[in-house]
Amino acid sequence: MLIPCPHCGTRPVEEFTFLGDATVIRPTSLEPSSMDDWMDYVYLRDNPRGNYAEYVQHSGGCRAWLVVTRNTGTHEVHSAVAAKAMKAKP
Amino acid sequence: MLRTSALQSVAIQGRFGADKGQPGLMLSVVHPLAIAMVIARKGKSKVLKDALATLKSVNVLWAGPDQYYVQSTVKSETALYIELKTKLANIASVTDQSHGRVTIRISGPKARAVLAKGTPIDLYTEEFPVGKSALTQMAHVGVHLTRTGNDEFTLSVFRGFSESFWEWLTSQSAEFGYQVG
Repeated sequence: MLIPCPHCGTRPVEEFTFLGDATVIRPTSLEPSSMDDWMDYVYLRDNPRGNYAEYVQHSGGCRAWLVVTRNTGTHEVHSAVAAKAMKAKP
Repeated sequence: MLRTSALQSVAIQGRFGADKGQPGLMLSVVHPLAIAMVIARKGKSKVLKDALATLKSVNVLWAGPDQYYVQSTVKSETALYIELKTKLANIASVTDQSHGRVTIRISGPKARAVLAKGTPIDLYTEEFPVGKSALTQMAHVGVHLTRTGNDEFTLSVFRGFSESFWEWLTSQSAEFGYQVG
């Protein structure tokens, strides 16, 4: 699997470290009533067949965090963008 | 102050490996070398780029997004660090890496063939021109690779990995014959 790092160019998957789902959003509340949201955020993940956005670190290269969208069925990589750039969006 | 290269006891001068004809490549340790890591502060990437362009008798190498290695063979490590710290105040964070990294120069007609055994980077001249730097891995060691000439590259690794990396590099070079200078 080849990942097009926006900083380094196309590199093999061996240079990267996968963290997991990039679509979950951290709850802001610390109230006991929000425990279900925290449970979802910390433990529960979808396991889709198809497109999946994941946090990936280019640990063997520029060390930047990326969000890589790939197809879990075919391993086709659709996009790799800097996580920093994603976060900057409102 | 006298500095000792981390590879002083292993990088022994001479001709090694295949002994027929000219050696395929030359290996040498670039020492002493003043190195500083420079990382742009938030929103200062353009300002930092311009500021780095005005520096004299240094080499500025890309080392990641908004990150650079500034190297100098003529300035002392302290002088380089203080100069950068002063000139780049509020623009970038500066860290002295002179003792933290070991830089090896590899040159000769077979240099590319040896590097290709370790890195997935396309080393073809048009893809990876002179002056370009890349971060990659060779033999599981993180390497900062720079092309300094058509058949000349510098490899920079963490000091603690340098001996192991040297062993790998020399064993890969043996089939071509190599000269340590």
